[in-house]
Amino acid sequence: MYQAKKRLLLLTLLALLALTIGACASSSTPAATDSGESASDAAAPAADSGEAATDEGGEKSIIIGFSQEPELLNPIIYTQTVADEVAEFLVEDLLAATDEGEYVAMLAEEVPSVENGLITDDGLTVTYNLREGMLWQDGEPLTCDDFLFTWELAMNPAETGAVNTTDLSAISSLECPDDNTIVTKYDEFYAPFLTTFSSNILLPRHATGDPTNMSNWAYNREGFVGNGPFKLQEWVSGDQIIMVKNENYHGYPDSPKVDRIIARIIPSREVGKALITSGEIDILWDLSEADVPEFEENPDVDVYSRPGLGTERLVINLADPALDATDDPLNNPHPLLGDLRVRQAIELGIDKQFIVDELLFGATTVGTSELSLGWAKCDIAPSAYDPDAAMALLEEAGFTDEDGDGVRECHDCEYAEEGAPLSLKYQTTSGNQLREESQQLVLEMMADIGIEFYIENVPSAELFGSWDSGAFRKHGNFDILMYTTSDVIDPQSQMDGYFSANQIPVEANGGSGFNYSRWINEEATAAIDAAGKSADQAGRAANYQIACEQITADLPHIYLYDRAEIGLARSNITGFGVNVFENSITWGNANWDKE
Amino acid sequence: MTNYIIRRLLQAIPLLIVISMIVFLLISLAPGGPTSAFEENPNLTAEDIARLEAQLGLDAPVYERYLTWAGKVVRGDWGYSNATRRPVRTEIFERLGNTIQLMSVAFLTTLIIAIPIGIISAVRQYSLFDHITTFLAFVGQAIPIFWFGLILIIIFNVWLNNPVSPSTGFQLSHLWNCGDCSPLMPGGGMTPYGAENPTLSQRIQHMFLPVIMLALFGAGTYTRYMRGQMLEVIHLDYIRTARAKGLNERKVITSHALKNALTPIITIIALELPALFGGALFTETIFSWPGMGRLFYRSAQRGDYPMLMGIIMINAVLIIFFNLVADVMYAFLDPRVRYD
Repeated sequence: MYQAKKRLLLLTLLALLALTIGACASSSTPAATDSGESASDAAAPAADSGEAATDEGGEKSIIIGFSQEPELLNPIIYTQTVADEVAEFLVEDLLAATDEGEYVAMLAEEVPSVENGLITDDGLTVTYNLREGMLWQDGEPLTCDDFLFTWELAMNPAETGAVNTTDLSAISSLECPDDNTIVTKYDEFYAPFLTTFSSNILLPRHATGDPTNMSNWAYNREGFVGNGPFKLQEWVSGDQIIMVKNENYHGYPDSPKVDRIIARIIPSREVGKALITSGEIDILWDLSEADVPEFEENPDVDVYSRPGLGTERLVINLADPALDATDDPLNNPHPLLGDLRVRQAIELGIDKQFIVDELLFGATTVGTSELSLGWAKCDIAPSAYDPDAAMALLEEAGFTDEDGDGVRECHDCEYAEEGAPLSLKYQTTSGNQLREESQQLVLEMMADIGIEFYIENVPSAELFGSWDSGAFRKHGNFDILMYTTSDVIDPQSQMDGYFSANQIPVEANGGSGFNYSRWINEEATAAIDAAGKSADQAGRAANYQIACEQITADLPHIYLYDRAEIGLARSNITGFGVNVFENSITWGNANWDKE
Repeated sequence: MTNYIIRRLLQAIPLLIVISMIVFLLISLAPGGPTSAFEENPNLTAEDIARLEAQLGLDAPVYERYLTWAGKVVRGDWGYSNATRRPVRTEIFERLGNTIQLMSVAFLTTLIIAIPIGIISAVRQYSLFDHITTFLAFVGQAIPIFWFGLILIIIFNVWLNNPVSPSTGFQLSHLWNCGDCSPLMPGGGMTPYGAENPTLSQRIQHMFLPVIMLALFGAGTYTRYMRGQMLEVIHLDYIRTARAKGLNERKVITSHALKNALTPIITIIALELPALFGGALFTETIFSWPGMGRLFYRSAQRGDYPMLMGIIMINAVLIIFFNLVADVMYAFLDPRVRYD
C-alpha cells in the first residue's frame, strides 16, 4: 500500500512535468517563413547596445504596439480600425488622403478632376491612369484586371461574402481598355467617388482564389499578397506580426527606409505606455487624451496629437421615448426634449471648454459641428457657456422649481404633463473612464441650472445593437445618448445617415439609417441631398454649411468635444505623423526612419 | 472501481449535452452578437448586415442553430470563428500550447514555494516565520493582480536596466534618464520582438515575470491550505503515538504527518488542473502572452459563438475529467474511501 501511494505521487508529478515539457517543445518549433533572407538578429542578447538604430545584423526595425489584433487582413471583409492600420503597411492605393484632407496620387498618375479631363462634366465617368510597371509583392504585374476583380467581388456580396462594398458597388461598370487604364462609370452621381480607391481595398486576382470561397482564402491571413512598402513575413497569433521590406515596391530600394516593421500585440494600454518609456517599443497606437500629460515632460517620447474627425456628442431624442420607433416624431414630440428651449438650455449650461481643459488636458478642441475638419469643414462658432441664459430659457419654457427639490418641473410647459420633473436619462457605453468622468461633469452642470440627468450606462454591444435585436437606440427608447461618431474625408454618408429626414430608423425601412434623434428638417435634408448630387466641391461645401447651421439651430445633437487622434513615438523615429483623414497613425510608413 | 469509472464517464455524456445547450442559449441571449461590430460602420446598410447575418447562419432560430452546431461537433467539426474565419480548432490549438506552458510552470513554481512554507508554518505555529508568511500570504491574495503586474513591469522593464549592458552598466535610472541601455527584463510577449529562433534562455526570461506573478498569488492560497491540513494532522493521536515511541521529529513530520496532510491537497491540485488549460486573463493581458484567456475574452466581446462554444466545451470536458481523477485518486490515497 505504501509503495502504491508513493508510485502514484511520483506519477502525478511526472505527468505535470511532461505537460510542461511538451508545451515548451511544441511551441519552440520555429514557424516556417517564406523569406529567403537569413535570420540575422536576435539569436543572442544584444552585445552592443550603443548603436540603437539597427539590430545586430545591421537591419533597422521599428516596433509598433497595437492594443488589438487584426482578425484578418482581407480588406473587403475586415471591419476593425487596427486591420486598416496594418493594411496601410501592406497595400498601396490609387489615391491617398493627406493629413490636410486632400487627395494625392499614389499608384495613379494623377488625381482625376474635371480640369485634367479624367472626370466627365456630368461626373458620371471617372478614369484613373495606373502608373507603368506596378507589381504585387510576388512580382506579378498589377493591372486594371485586379481592380476589375475587386469590383466584381463587391458586386456579388451574397455569393462572395464581401462586406466593405458601399463605394465599389456604386460603380455601375468598370472597364479596362488597357492594362493601365481604369474606367469607372456611375448611373447617378456618387459624391464620395474618390474614396473608392483610397481605402486599402485592392485584391490580387492571381493570389486569392475562388470568389465564392472567400472566407477560406489563405490570402486572408498568412497568404496575404499586397503591393505596399512592406510585405507580411510571419504572423504569430496573439503575439506579433512581422513585416519586411517589399523588394517589388516601386520605391525600392530607397523606400521604405527601414527593413522591418514588427507589430506587437500589447493588450494593456498601461503596459504599452511603460514599454514605450523603456524603449522596448518605438511607436504606440490607440491612446486617449488622458495619456498625454505624462509624456509631455519626457524627452525620449514625442506626442503626436491632432483633433480628429470623431466628435463626442449628445444625441438627443426629439420623439416620444415611450413609443416604439415612431415614424411621426413631429406629432409625437419628446415631452421634455421636444421643446427647443430645453435643448438650447442644455447646450448653454455645458461648459465645454472646462471639459476639454480638465478631462482632456487641452489635447483637443471643443465640438462645434459635425464637420470640423477638411475641405467640407463647417464654419460654426463654439456655443457660449451661459447658465443664466439657460435658466431664463427654462423659465420661459414653463419649467420652474416650485417644490424646492432643486429639479425644475413642468408648470404650464409645452408638451409634458403638469408637474413632471425635468429629469432625463443620460446613457453611454459602460466601462469607459473618460466618458464616465465627463458624465459627472455634465451632470453637475445640469444640476446647476435645475435639470436632473441620471446615468444608466450599458455595454457598447447593447447600445450599438441592431434593429432586430431591439436595441433602444434604433427603436428610439432613450432620452440622451453620448458617444462618438466620425465623418470621413467625404462626409456625405455621415451627413445623410444621421440627419436626413428619410434616414429615421422605422419599421418600414427595416430600421436602417442613423437619424436616431428623429429629426425632421426640410432645409437640411434638401441641402444634404443637393450636396450628394454635385461634383462641384465648393458648392457641396456650401450645402453642408447650410445643414450644419440647421443642426446648430435645432440641436438634434450637441457636440461636446472633438476626439483627438493620438500616437506616441520614440524621439529617434522620424517621418511619423497622425493622419486623421486616413484615421491612421501608420500612414506614410514608407518614410519612417530610425536614427 | 472500474465499474465506478465507467459509470461516471457515461454520466458525463448527458451532462455535457445539457451544458452545451445552456451555454448556447446563454450566448444567444447576450446582447450584441457577431454583427454588432458592424453596427457603427456608416458604410454598411441594414441590408448589408442582414446579409452578413444570413451568411453566418444567424437568422435561423436558436434551436436550429444549436442542432446545426451540435451535428457538426459530433462529426469532429468545431466550425469557423465568425471573427477571423479560421477553424475554431486551429485558433484554440495555437493558443493552448502557450497557455499550458505558462500555467504549468507557474503552477509548479507555486507548489514548490507553497508546500514547504505551509509545512514549516504549521510545524512552527505562531513563530515569527509563521507570522511573516501568513501576513505575506494575505497580502498576496489581497493585492489587485492587474496593479501588481504593472508594477513588476515598471520596476523590471522601465527602472532597472540590464547589468550586462556595457554602455551604461547597472543603474536604477529615474524613468527616462537612461539613453540606450536595455531593460533588465522583457515587458511582455513570449519571445524577443521579431526573433525567429529564440533561445531557451530568452524564453525563460520572457516567462520570468508572469510566472513570478502567478506563483506569488497562487502560493498565497496554497500556503494556507497546506498549513491548515498540516495543523489538523499534527494534533492527531497517531502523531502523538509516533513521538511517544521515540521517533525523531523529522521522521514524524515527513513520513507520518506530511503523507496524510498531502492527501486532500492532491485532490485540490487535481481540481485545479483544468485552469492550466483555461489560461489567466489578467496575466496574459498585462504580459502580452498569447494564451487562452485572451482568446476567450476576445471571442466573448465579439459574440463569436463558435469560438466560445469550443473553448467552453473543452473546459467542461476537462473539469468533468479532472473531477473524476480527483475522486479516484482520493480513493487510492485514503483507504477509508470506497466507491463500490
